[in-house]
Amino acid sequence: MSALPYAVWLVFIFAAVIASSWLLSAYLFAVYTGRKGRLDRLFDPIDNFIYKVIRADPSKQMTGGEYFLALLGFSALAAALCFIILVAQGYLPLNPQHFPGLAWDLALHTALSFATNTDLQHYAGETTLSYFSQAAAIQFLQFASAAIGMCVAVAVFRGFSGKFSGIGNFYYDFVRSITRILLPASLVAAIVLVALGLPQSLGGYVTANTIGGGAQTLDIGPVASLVSIMQLGTNGGGYYGANSASPYQNPSPLTNWLEIGLMLLIETSMPFLFGRMVGNKREGHMLLIAAYAIYGINLVVAFVNLAPFGPGIEARLGAFSSIVWTVTATSTMTGSLNAALSAFNPVVIIAALMGMFIQAAPGGIGGGVMYLLMYVVIAVFIVGLMAGRTPEYLGAKILPNDVKRAVIAFVSHPILILIPLALAFSTGAAAVAGAGSIPNGFTKVLYEFTSAAANNGSDFLGTAGNTLFFNISTSIVVLLGRFIPMAVMLAIADSMLKRTRSSQGGGLRTDNLLFAGILVVSILILVVLTFLPFIILGPVLSLLQGYNGI
Amino acid sequence: MESKKTATGETCAVKANGGKRALPLKHVLSESVLRMNPARLISNPVIFIVEVMFFIVAIMAIAPGLIPAVSSPSQQMFYVYVAIILLFTVWFSTLSDSIAEAQIKATADGLKQIEHEVKARRMDPDRKVTVVSSKALKKDDIVLIQKGDYIPIDCVVLEGIAMVDESLLTGESAPVRKAPTDVLIGGSVLVSDSLIARISADPGDTYLSKLISMVESTKRPKTPNEAAISTLLLGFTAIFTIIIVSILWLSVSLSLGADLSVLIALYVCLLPTTIGALLPAIGISGIRRMSIDRIIAKSGKAIETAGDTDVVLLDKTGTITLGSRTATEFIPLGGHSAKEMGEASFMSSWYDDTPEGRSIIALAYSLGFVPKEFHSISRAEAMEFSAVTRTSSVRLGRPNVFMLPKGGKGMLQRSRISKKYQTGKSSDDLNISKGAPDAIAQSARALPEGFDEKVSGISSAGETAMAVAVDGEIIGLIRLKDQLKQGIKAKIEAVKVMGIKPIMITGDQPLTAKSIASEVGIEEFVSKAKPETKIEVVKREQAAGRIVAMVGDGTNDAPALAAADAGLAMGSGTIAAKEAANMVDLESDPSKIIQVIMLGKQLLMTRGAITTFSISNDVAKYFAIVPVMFSALPVLGRVNVLGLPPSVTVLAALIFNALIIPALIPLATRGVRLKPRSTMSIFLKNMVTYGVGGVILPFIGIEAIGLLIKAL
Amino acid sequence: MDALEPIKTPLLLAIVTLLVCGLAYPILVTIIAGVAFPFQANGEQVVMNGTVVGSYLVAQEFNSSIFLHPEPDNFSASGVDPTVTLAYAYSQVPRISNATGLPQSLLDGVISNQSEYTLFFFGSRYVNVVDTNLYLIKNYPSIYSKHVN
Repeated sequence: MSALPYAVWLVFIFAAVIASSWLLSAYLFAVYTGRKGRLDRLFDPIDNFIYKVIRADPSKQMTGGEYFLALLGFSALAAALCFIILVAQGYLPLNPQHFPGLAWDLALHTALSFATNTDLQHYAGETTLSYFSQAAAIQFLQFASAAIGMCVAVAVFRGFSGKFSGIGNFYYDFVRSITRILLPASLVAAIVLVALGLPQSLGGYVTANTIGGGAQTLDIGPVASLVSIMQLGTNGGGYYGANSASPYQNPSPLTNWLEIGLMLLIETSMPFLFGRMVGNKREGHMLLIAAYAIYGINLVVAFVNLAPFGPGIEARLGAFSSIVWTVTATSTMTGSLNAALSAFNPVVIIAALMGMFIQAAPGGIGGGVMYLLMYVVIAVFIVGLMAGRTPEYLGAKILPNDVKRAVIAFVSHPILILIPLALAFSTGAAAVAGAGSIPNGFTKVLYEFTSAAANNGSDFLGTAGNTLFFNISTSIVVLLGRFIPMAVMLAIADSMLKRTRSSQGGGLRTDNLLFAGILVVSILILVVLTFLPFIILGPVLSLLQGYNGI
Repeated sequence: MESKKTATGETCAVKANGGKRALPLKHVLSESVLRMNPARLISNPVIFIVEVMFFIVAIMAIAPGLIPAVSSPSQQMFYVYVAIILLFTVWFSTLSDSIAEAQIKATADGLKQIEHEVKARRMDPDRKVTVVSSKALKKDDIVLIQKGDYIPIDCVVLEGIAMVDESLLTGESAPVRKAPTDVLIGGSVLVSDSLIARISADPGDTYLSKLISMVESTKRPKTPNEAAISTLLLGFTAIFTIIIVSILWLSVSLSLGADLSVLIALYVCLLPTTIGALLPAIGISGIRRMSIDRIIAKSGKAIETAGDTDVVLLDKTGTITLGSRTATEFIPLGGHSAKEMGEASFMSSWYDDTPEGRSIIALAYSLGFVPKEFHSISRAEAMEFSAVTRTSSVRLGRPNVFMLPKGGKGMLQRSRISKKYQTGKSSDDLNISKGAPDAIAQSARALPEGFDEKVSGISSAGETAMAVAVDGEIIGLIRLKDQLKQGIKAKIEAVKVMGIKPIMITGDQPLTAKSIASEVGIEEFVSKAKPETKIEVVKREQAAGRIVAMVGDGTNDAPALAAADAGLAMGSGTIAAKEAANMVDLESDPSKIIQVIMLGKQLLMTRGAITTFSISNDVAKYFAIVPVMFSALPVLGRVNVLGLPPSVTVLAALIFNALIIPALIPLATRGVRLKPRSTMSIFLKNMVTYGVGGVILPFIGIEAIGLLIKAL
Repeated sequence: MDALEPIKTPLLLAIVTLLVCGLAYPILVTIIAGVAFPFQANGEQVVMNGTVVGSYLVAQEFNSSIFLHPEPDNFSASGVDPTVTLAYAYSQVPRISNATGLPQSLLDGVISNQSEYTLFFFGSRYVNVVDTNLYLIKNYPSIYSKHVN
């Protein structure tokens, strides 16, 4: 079959996403720079009321350290609330199925995983969580962690830009992210999704007497409201264990492609926002082009081998849509799945792993563009040396400290993946989860920690990962994988804020296609150098052995 | 680098001596071995790790069965080979350091020759002279320096006027006139008369010796970019360490059959050994290359900053033009003849000892406009140039019998004639004055026809007009032309191509300045500059976020030199200027600032190129070694692109990795080739050469070495 | 409460966010959905003779050979995919034809009519099993009515 219509289709989808994101970015710019607009009459009283209740002064500029501590403290407390809800679920309302509270380690893993925008799930929601938990614990953290990602991105933008007096105030950014962006967008998306077939009910599961004579439980609940924020906020933790393969989460091709668009929407608008905030839209365009180029490369990798798949593809979605979804969900740090990973040719797994190794193509909400800037610092540094000038980005000199911090952020990723990976196999913990061998088990465990370290949440172990070892190890990994890079990037932003800006007289431009190309190549080389042996021991080995089922 | 201009033969010899002195091979070799001491190597973490890996493999070679999980006795010979190659890898690194340091030592020794021990005449307060060694002199001693003496140590002239040959220091062959308060630099030679001077520095603390010790010092702080590269390399080292540890760990847990020595080989191949080994040598060589050009940089950072220059301030006089205007034409006005005009000019300039004045005499002489009144000239009364009237004049009296010496170069002798020679005034005295056209016009009775047009015509051509009046009547104009320095246009073009904006600073009128600027291709200039103009321009450009480089020589320039990001002082300049600047050019050639900028860029590029090359190499090494690494996974052999047996592949990769270090030593010490191009094209060229080339070369190299090993 | 002073603002913010995003928002969506799209909001239930017999979106067992069967459990990722590939649907035609006596061409036509494209106008095709069986029940009551309870 010709590949052309499929390529045209993808171009159409991406064009639609990019156009929407471009429109959205103008609104985001107004939200984060406090530019007055017509909607202020609606939102200002709400925001001011919240500032008053939480006793925050939204006009106070924070240092990078203060900003980080505020978001860290908030994340910890939000995770604690979630942990309490999950453990005490049996005593809480809206639990028509009478699910008991979760074991402490699963509750801890779930709370930390959702608080860090990871959403690894070692449970199946429809048989584990009450309506109250799905809403007050899961949906709450999905909003909160997405908003934090956006806040950090914006704070980093302000620092890099050099056009702002400070990197901002966490409470101001957070409240506005929630009230002006995430809540309205999720509300609209949720209603549309309901219209397209997603359930939204608090009335309890429905028992049906089937035509064939059996009994069937229709596990409906507040699904649409969760799915909208889960995709928009690149969370990925689903209502059901089968996640987006479940027909209630993703009933048709239409919802499938709409949800792909939702995953990409906000993170695609972030580079546009960056361009606006640094005062040169082209800078943002180049970041976006670099991100989408890598995303495109991941997609191509996923399709280089079209050999037959194993079972695990939903017939209504088809292989093509499932592969695009999987690559998108892993490239955006959403991590939701609409097919079984074991159904895929190993090349799809390679593409998915690449997305999670890179974390910036286009990456998770806020986080993706933050990682992109981390790569920019490293790439600009090497480029500057090669061109015979002390490296500069946006007119600011790249100092040894910036390189040090960017390297810390970059190095933390392989450490967080490889050390627990080796631990899992040397302690035998991997075997317990039914994954003890090369290459299939190896791929699954590599995938698990990669997903955790990237705060992606795409899951190859599923409920098999519900062991003490995996719950605790991935909890640690998601925390460090989330907060080390944020701390480091906020520190870079903080130090760049007041740095003298040159007029970029003879420097290398970073707002042209050449730089976007250099960025792409640098990212790919860095990532390949770091992870190649492990890709070889996993999916490549499967490929060479004829991939008899991962 | 552009080919350097050479000065006199004598200077050349010294330079060659300093730059290309034969290296003490024995010393270099023994030093390179001594440097392999782990305690000394630890300052270079990458190479230190390689040495640690050597010890591990050496132990495996001695006791191959010690760790059965990851080694096997049957591989003993392989371990021996790996250990040897690792040892060579470390040695190649210390060798490159030793060579670079020996080279810089040789350069410094060459410079030091200038300041050797000489006899000095020390003067007691009662003016009694004792001959002592220059080493015995102390600061504030008074010395008598006679014709033919070396200046013993830096000193300041107290009495006398004499000519001093500073060619050893500055490369300028013409002797320099020194008068009270002028600075004498140790090592230069007095070629006329005698001087009494006060020693301004203790021996060993002279300006020159301080500068030379800067060159020699190996304990230079890292430049910001060196520090950043070190961090990046440390990051790569950390990543590769984690990768290798994880693979080892997994291989043991999953029985993948990876041999420890092979993992170590992969580790060492991946480590940025090339740039790690050569990084110190690159910095040292940069300073050395500057020294060969007779530029002393006070820090590596200064050179690096120079490479980032956005704006370079160039003095018109001395940098762009030769500094002396030359008369090229006499333009008679008001019906006077050229001969009249030329003769008047001749006489008006007789006591004018400026280069302009000399050139007027020379022009008049060559045109045969020697006035008949010239024999009365020795009785003439000279009114020296006055800043108030901006004119100079002569008043001629009775005829005299003074004769011009034969040979046509008489004007050169004029300085011997006392300017104080007075004549009595009388009514038939002739008053010839010369000066700026507007100044002469003020005192003139009337302006001849076409005066203003001619004057502005000359100015707008970038030339200078001087008016000559006889008894208050303007009889014509002298056209004076600024002579461009040879090669300056090409240098300015090079600066512009690299994206650097040149700004010309001159005291000239705007029209003249504009014409000179456009002649050499400079868009921005500052005319009618005052002494404080330079610092104003430096501050203004810096406020706009630009990196400013400038050249200066006078005390006036010191604040601007200190404020500029890269300041190059002239060796012939004042101590204040030299102290304020972060670089000093002993040859006092201001246009060398351009060379400094190029060198700064070249240093960064050399580091960047070898870093990129080092990292690009890793891609190929991965693809070479990983497929043959796990003996329990023979299926990976299907992606063994090199098609060599496992042990051969590993040895070949290791040998390639080691050999690339000495292969790149010349590149590191000489620097990446740099032609003035735009930043973008420089980058692209380097990216293709060292990035893409860095990926491809190891495949070819490893394959070739592998085939060679197989053949053996 | 002094010990809580440094964390007061983040804690209050967490509580406010929980109330707004974790409770107010899903309840608001539920209310709007229940009013505007009650059928979808309740899981697209199939109601026959007043009782809920399943959902258009959830696969269910059709044991009898006269029905189109979904894929076996766990063949799809969800295990409850209400749709099958067109090829799988066609492969069942001889069996259904045998059991019902309906001509194969007719059944082929029904399945073809019921099928949709995964990419709206191209791509692989799929058939909703529940929909198709309900179509058969509705149009061929003489054959299917005795199998419907």
